[in-house]
Amino acid sequence: MNYAMALNYQNCINCKACETACKEENGVQLGADKQRIWIGITEGTIFGKPYINLYPSQCNHCLEAPCVSVCPTYASHITEGGIVKVDPSKCILCKGCMEACPYDARFVDDTMVAVDKCTFCDHRIDEYGTTACQATCPTKVRLFGDLDDEDSDIVQLLKTKKFFFQKEDAGTLPKLFYIVPDDEIYSRQSISHDTKIHTWNEFKPKYDAVRDARSKEWIR
Amino acid sequence: MDKIEILGLEINKVSIFGLLFNKVMIIAYALLGLAFFGIYEIIEIRYFSEAANAHASGLDPTNPELREAMRLAVFGTVGEVNREIPWTLFIVNYMYMIYTGSGIIFLVALAELMKFHIVEKVAASFMIAGIAMVFAGLFTIATDLNILNMLSMFTSPNIGAGMWLMLPLYSVYIPFVLFEIYLILTNKRELARRLALPILVMSIGVDLVEYYIQAKLFSMNTARHLWTEFPGLMFYFIISAFVSSLGIMGVITFLVHKGKLEYKELMGLIRKAMLFFVSALALYEVFAYMAVDKDWTLIILFGEFKTMYFGGYILLTLALPFLLIFREGKPFLTVLASVFVIIGGYIGRYIFVYGGNANPMTDRFGTGYEKYDFYSVASNFNYAHPHLGEIFIVVGSIGVILAVYSLFDSLFSIGKLKDNH
Repeated sequence: MNYAMALNYQNCINCKACETACKEENGVQLGADKQRIWIGITEGTIFGKPYINLYPSQCNHCLEAPCVSVCPTYASHITEGGIVKVDPSKCILCKGCMEACPYDARFVDDTMVAVDKCTFCDHRIDEYGTTACQATCPTKVRLFGDLDDEDSDIVQLLKTKKFFFQKEDAGTLPKLFYIVPDDEIYSRQSISHDTKIHTWNEFKPKYDAVRDARSKEWIR
Repeated sequence: MDKIEILGLEINKVSIFGLLFNKVMIIAYALLGLAFFGIYEIIEIRYFSEAANAHASGLDPTNPELREAMRLAVFGTVGEVNREIPWTLFIVNYMYMIYTGSGIIFLVALAELMKFHIVEKVAASFMIAGIAMVFAGLFTIATDLNILNMLSMFTSPNIGAGMWLMLPLYSVYIPFVLFEIYLILTNKRELARRLALPILVMSIGVDLVEYYIQAKLFSMNTARHLWTEFPGLMFYFIISAFVSSLGIMGVITFLVHKGKLEYKELMGLIRKAMLFFVSALALYEVFAYMAVDKDWTLIILFGEFKTMYFGGYILLTLALPFLLIFREGKPFLTVLASVFVIIGGYIGRYIFVYGGNANPMTDRFGTGYEKYDFYSVASNFNYAHPHLGEIFIVVGSIGVILAVYSLFDSLFSIGKLKDNH
C-alpha cells in the first residue's frame, strides 16, 4: 500500500470544514498556526484580472521524506502505507524535521511537547477508508487512496487528469497530487509556467522504483 | 603556592572559598543566575503554558485552564516554538560557542604542529577557553531540547542524522580535548613528548569531523537554500570560526598574558593569523552569495537583514578589523580588532540561522507567497524575536565559560607560561 491524496483545488471554497474536522478527529492543539492541514491562499492578476487560488495543504507524506532522514531518534518515521508519522514519546524537540520540511507541515504540539503533523487519519483508514478532511469536504476537493491499487478511485482519477506537485524541485517525491484544471492554458497563469505538469503513465515508473526501494524501511 | 600531585598533574592547594568565591566566579554566578531564570521561563512556557485541544473542550468545557488556553489560541501566541522559525537564538549561541571553542582548540593544535613555540607556552589557557566555550554551547543546546525524551538518543538512534552524530562526537571530543590539556599540564614530560604528535594530528582530525557533522546538520535541511547552497559549508564554518577564535585568543592574551615578555610576540602572531583568515572570510562572503538561492540572497544582502549584514557583520568582522590590523601597529589595535570580530562573528551566526528561516516556505509555485489564513497578509519575510528566557540563557552561558576557566585557573594556574615540549 502507498497512500496518497489527490486535490481538485479548483473546487475549494475555503469553508475550512476540513481544518475543523481534522482538529476534531485528531485532537489537534487549538491555535492559529497549530494546524495539520490548512488552506493556502495566493492572490494575483492575469492580464489585469484578479484571481485567487486556494491550495488545500498538509504533509505531503514524501517518499524521500527529509524530515525522517534528519530525525536523530526515529521519532519521525514512515509506517505501513508510506505514511509519515511522529512518535511523540521519542521526540527530543530538536526541531530538525521542521527545518527540513519544504512545506512547513509540522508544528510543535504544546500539549505533548513534541512535533505533530498530519497522519492521513491512519487510525480510521481500516474502518472508513478515508480521512476526516475528505469525508467532510462539501465540494469533493480531496480524494484519498492507495496508489498501488490500480482500481482505486485515486489512480483512476490520476489516469484521466494531469497533475502537479508543490515544490517538486525539492526532490522529496511528495504524494499530494494537485489536479490541473480543465483549462490548462489559463490555469498555468496562476500556477507559474515553471511548474511541471505530469501524467500518471509518465510518473508511475518513477514512483514505483522509489517506493520499492524505500518501502523496506517502512515500519510495519 | 603549595601543590599536590595526582597522575603527574600539579594541583594548587587552594581553599574551597578561594576556588568557588573568587572575583571571576562571582561574576560567573551572576550570569548563571540569569541563565537559570531563563531556564525557569523556558520550562514554564514549554511544559506549563496553557494548551488545549478540541477534545478537551468537549470533555470539560467549564475548566478555567481550558478557557485560558482557548483565549491564547484565539488572541495570543500559543507555545514556545514558532512554526516558521524553529531554530532560534539557542542554535545561534550553540553554533557560536561550539564552533569558536573548537576553532581555538584546532588553531592551537595547528600552531603546535607548525612549531610556533610561543603558542605552546600559552596553549593551556587557550585550550581551556576553547573547551569552556564548548561546554557553554552544550549548556545552551541542552536547554533547547526536550530533555525528558533524551533517552531515545540511546535507545532509538538514527546514526545517519547530523543531530544524532553530535552525541558520539562530543562523547569522544570532550574527553579527547581534556586528555590533550592533561598532556599540556602534566609534568610527565616523557609521556607528553611521545604522544604529542599523534595527539595533535588526531586533534585536528577530530575537529574536522566535528565541522563536517555541523555542516551536515544544516545542509540536510533541503528546503532552506541558504544552508544547502552555501558553497563548502564546512569550510565556511571553519574559516568563520577561526576568525572568532582568534578574537577570543586576542582578548585572552590581553587579559591573561599582558604583563609578560611574550605578549607582543603573541599578539603579533594573532594579528597575522587574523589578517589571513579575515581576508579569506571576506573572499568567501563575496563569492558565496553568488551561489546561494536568490530568494535568500536578496533578503540578506538587500532586504530586511541588510543593515545587520553590512552594518554589523561585514563592518565588525571584516572591514574594521582589516583596517586595524592591516599594518603592524600597537598590540592594542589587535585587541580592538579581536573585540570587533567576537561581536561581528556572533552577528554573522545570527544572520545565518535566522536568515535560513527568513524566506517563507509558502512560496510554492513561483507565483507569490501563500497565506495560511484568509485574514492574514502574505509575508515574504519570516522573523520572530527570541524569548526573554532565551536571551537570559544565552547571556548566562558566558557564566559557564567564566566558571570553567576560573576553576581550571585556580587549580592549575593555566595563566602561567609553560614550556611543554
